[in-house]
Amino acid sequence: MTNKKRPLLEGLISGNTVLSGLMVISPVIVCGNTVMNALALMYAFSAITFITVMIGSFIPKRLPYGMKIVIYAVIASIIYIPVKAAAEEFFPDIIPRIGIYFMLVAVNSLITVQTEAKFYRMTRGKMTASLILHILGFDAVMLIIAAVRELLAYGTFCGRIVDADILISGLGAPFGGFILLGIFCGIYRGIGNAMRHDDDVSGGDGECF
Amino acid sequence: MFLISEFVVLLTTNLILTKALGTSTLFIAAGSRKNLLWIAITITAFTTVGSAGAYLINGMLPENFTDLRLLLYVLIIGVLYFALLSVLYFTDGKSFGTTRKYVHVSAFNCAVMGTLFTISENADADTSLNNIVSFIIRGAEAGTGFILSAFILMAAFKILNSKEVPAAFRGFPAMLVYLGIISMAMYALV
Repeated sequence: MTNKKRPLLEGLISGNTVLSGLMVISPVIVCGNTVMNALALMYAFSAITFITVMIGSFIPKRLPYGMKIVIYAVIASIIYIPVKAAAEEFFPDIIPRIGIYFMLVAVNSLITVQTEAKFYRMTRGKMTASLILHILGFDAVMLIIAAVRELLAYGTFCGRIVDADILISGLGAPFGGFILLGIFCGIYRGIGNAMRHDDDVSGGDGECF
Repeated sequence: MFLISEFVVLLTTNLILTKALGTSTLFIAAGSRKNLLWIAITITAFTTVGSAGAYLINGMLPENFTDLRLLLYVLIIGVLYFALLSVLYFTDGKSFGTTRKYVHVSAFNCAVMGTLFTISENADADTSLNNIVSFIIRGAEAGTGFILSAFILMAAFKILNSKEVPAAFRGFPAMLVYLGIISMAMYALV
């Protein structure tokens, strides 16, 4: 991968929102236990985050930091209303199951932290590409973890029964989400370390590639 | 006996261990005692005062407009956010640059917003909880629960970040697995 492509692809792989930054992990841990839940949350997260960050980029830069964060959160809360209305059409049975986590994706770290720390320091074109890749990074992790949990915890995939020999029902519970996400983070780091041929990467900062 | 039962209630209703709310903020808080102290204080202030605000909004909001809850809760937290920053600025101007970061970290996160929604959801399900005192107490409990979880994580923080843990799992991955095990124990208590 060239050095020019690396920062753009950062959001998808090396700086993955969930596995590297450990952001927006509550919905993954609690609701990411079936593929249908994951699809509903991916839709909410993608729509709210993308539209909010794009609209927020027109907010004057000279406003105080605190004021801008509140404005971004307010924009996200307004975007949430039509997004939820549409979700109730597409996922009528899923939204009540997701409960408060559907609302909580509206105040996610990509909107309240990364906008000022990362996205709005880029040109608009780069910002759009980086934002899309960060969103896709979250969506991919959410979907993979939900699929694994659904398969291992309930023996189903998208609600259809599959031939699973062993069921670990605990993986469907929040503690299972914590443990599985921890294991995924470790594997992700291990792969990153192996790719860099660097055995001396210090832990604790969440960056591994 | 009262203290023990209260402690068990704090653990079993803990929003981090049971609902994973504010886990990322917890990792920041558990990094040092100073961080923990300030983040815990500001989160508890936000959840306690914010819960009182949430009660007032729930009372005024017509049933058909519940989708506006998020927007109104965000506005409550926004007002508290400015109020807290102003208090810090006028009372402790010299160290404002340092202390304001804790307010930034604590304001808009799942721990605070999730607490307001969880308390409101519980009050909708059980009308005996639908009073301002109950909202404030539960808001304060959520903040205390956050402190408790941060202490539980702090107890193992050094070991989980030490070289004894394989490089790939050192830090965040080990902390997630550790929290999962604690959460599993809480699950067994309920």
